[in-house]
Amino acid sequence: MSKKVNKKDIAQLLKEWSQQFNVLAPSRASGVAEMTEWDGKDTSFLEWYRNTVVPPKASFLPPMEEMFRFRKDEEGYRIEPPSKNGQKQLLFGVRPCDARAMAIVDMTFEDAYKDPYYLEKRRNAVLVGMGCTNPCESCFCTSMGTTPTDSTNVDLMLIDIGDYFLIEEVTAKGKELLAKASGLKEATKSDEAEAEKSKETSYNKVTRKLDTTGIKDRLLESFDDEEFWTKTAAKCISCGICTLLCPTCYCFDINDEMVKGEGARFRNWDSCGFPLYTKMPMENPRSEKWRRVRQKVCHKYEFYPMAFDVIACTGCGRCIRLCPVNWDITQVIESVPQKVKGAK
Amino acid sequence: MTVSDITKRPKFFAKDNVYLPHIVVIEKIIEETPGVRTFHFNFKDKKLAREFKFESGQFAQCSVFGVGEAPFCISSSPTRPDHLEFAAQRVGRVTNALHRLGVGAELGFRGPYGNSFPLDSLKGKNLVFVGGGIGLAPLRSLIWNIIDNRDKYNKVDIIYGARTPADLCFRYDLEAWDKDKTINMVTTIDREAEGWTGRVGLVPNVLGEVAPKAKDAVAIVCGPPIMIRFTFPVLEKLGFTPAQMLTTLEKRMKCGIGKCGRCNIGNVYVCRDGPVFSYEQIKNFVSSEY
Repeated sequence: MSKKVNKKDIAQLLKEWSQQFNVLAPSRASGVAEMTEWDGKDTSFLEWYRNTVVPPKASFLPPMEEMFRFRKDEEGYRIEPPSKNGQKQLLFGVRPCDARAMAIVDMTFEDAYKDPYYLEKRRNAVLVGMGCTNPCESCFCTSMGTTPTDSTNVDLMLIDIGDYFLIEEVTAKGKELLAKASGLKEATKSDEAEAEKSKETSYNKVTRKLDTTGIKDRLLESFDDEEFWTKTAAKCISCGICTLLCPTCYCFDINDEMVKGEGARFRNWDSCGFPLYTKMPMENPRSEKWRRVRQKVCHKYEFYPMAFDVIACTGCGRCIRLCPVNWDITQVIESVPQKVKGAK
Repeated sequence: MTVSDITKRPKFFAKDNVYLPHIVVIEKIIEETPGVRTFHFNFKDKKLAREFKFESGQFAQCSVFGVGEAPFCISSSPTRPDHLEFAAQRVGRVTNALHRLGVGAELGFRGPYGNSFPLDSLKGKNLVFVGGGIGLAPLRSLIWNIIDNRDKYNKVDIIYGARTPADLCFRYDLEAWDKDKTINMVTTIDREAEGWTGRVGLVPNVLGEVAPKAKDAVAIVCGPPIMIRFTFPVLEKLGFTPAQMLTTLEKRMKCGIGKCGRCNIGNVYVCRDGPVFSYEQIKNFVSSEY
């Protein structure tokens, strides 16, 4: 039988977990909804929280991250690798779309050459998911291989059943978290039935649908359709927000800072939407906007499926909600022309 | 070994962290042209200097601390491992900083990255090198590699050009190859210039005139993108199949290991899946952004 927790006891639960973890929870303290270090008392997010503006990838691939320091003395340069902080993060309230996005980003950072910064944080983290009861109009997760209450990529999953959350144990890590927690109650048969009902209600609230049938091939065939891409990119202002705040986007830049022989190398989020991203001294393969928009769409819906057999989009809807000019990925994907076989 | 299998590539990580650079020291600087310098360098760590291995065609991320990193192909040959070399044209932030450094200065170095020229499949073949400007840098690693194992390869043609006599890089190599009886060395400049008694003409045109035979041959091309694009059709006319043409591509890179995103051409990352590609592969790229 599953456990359940009273919503009033969430603060107590987080307090207990704080002993062992750096607990992150949704907060609007900065003015933007994001996962930040829990302040030890506030659970008001349970009322307002739909999803964060900043995706949880920021906890594993921070917007700016020090890679190492260097220092010059009389014997030359010394590299000071980052100290492994060993900090264990517990992200509370992760939405299933974002949890799936983390699993998708893992594929790149696990691939061939392991990325030590990202993977250390990922290995040390626990994800406590929370099912959506109020998906946004822009959400289309049910078309992208997940659902508002999907527990696949989290350690524990909380399903809203009124005054309580039903807790689904997903992984051994999650089980361990629960074993030591106090204040939990055994869920009854009717609680479980309530959870099933809640899941169905949530699922039906995701009304935006996207048909991705054959999208990889459609994009492949339309790759050189400059007219289509120019039209698609027309209103884009290359602000980069749809990529920077996309939970599956992971592109980064690497830069140095140094003052008087002491400095550090940093990496920071970058975006294929920016012309500088690919700029070389003599030329730029994507100086035109339509090429950059094509890259963004094709990376998610064509190249990632070619590499990892999965579309690098989970339907979280951020790029639709946050776009200043109402560019809509679902409209774009639906409008990719179906070419006649063999014609190009 | 062609190191096409990424997992089998030699890895020389500092402290198990692929992003941490090793320290290398500049031992010699050669002024190739007014804007191009070759840097000879070695690892500060003597043990690493002995153990380090790479293949012709591979590149490394070199950094001027406080300024940043940039990718450079290793232009020396693995058959001459007493030091490493790369050539840098002064065109951007990192290369400008590099050109301000002198002998004894320290750089960051991580690598080698990328694949390499498929040496095994070049054995017994006639080799046609087509280079332009600083594009000779990756080719010269392979050329010296072949000279040091000369009996394993057949005829060697080298067609190399630059805009003006002053833009010819690696003149000491050109002279050595010119004297080498086993090599047909053709040097050209784009337009007539005072004091130049050698050949005149754009590299693709001169290649057409030299007309190396395609039978049992492989062409290895590197130079400015415009030269590469005009060279492939000439080779095709000479009877070379796309599989018989190799080149090494250049893109803006940051990580060098297929993570940071920017060097992709369709689903291919130049840093991880390249930089060496056959024209056959390039023709099959999803994107024409090469």
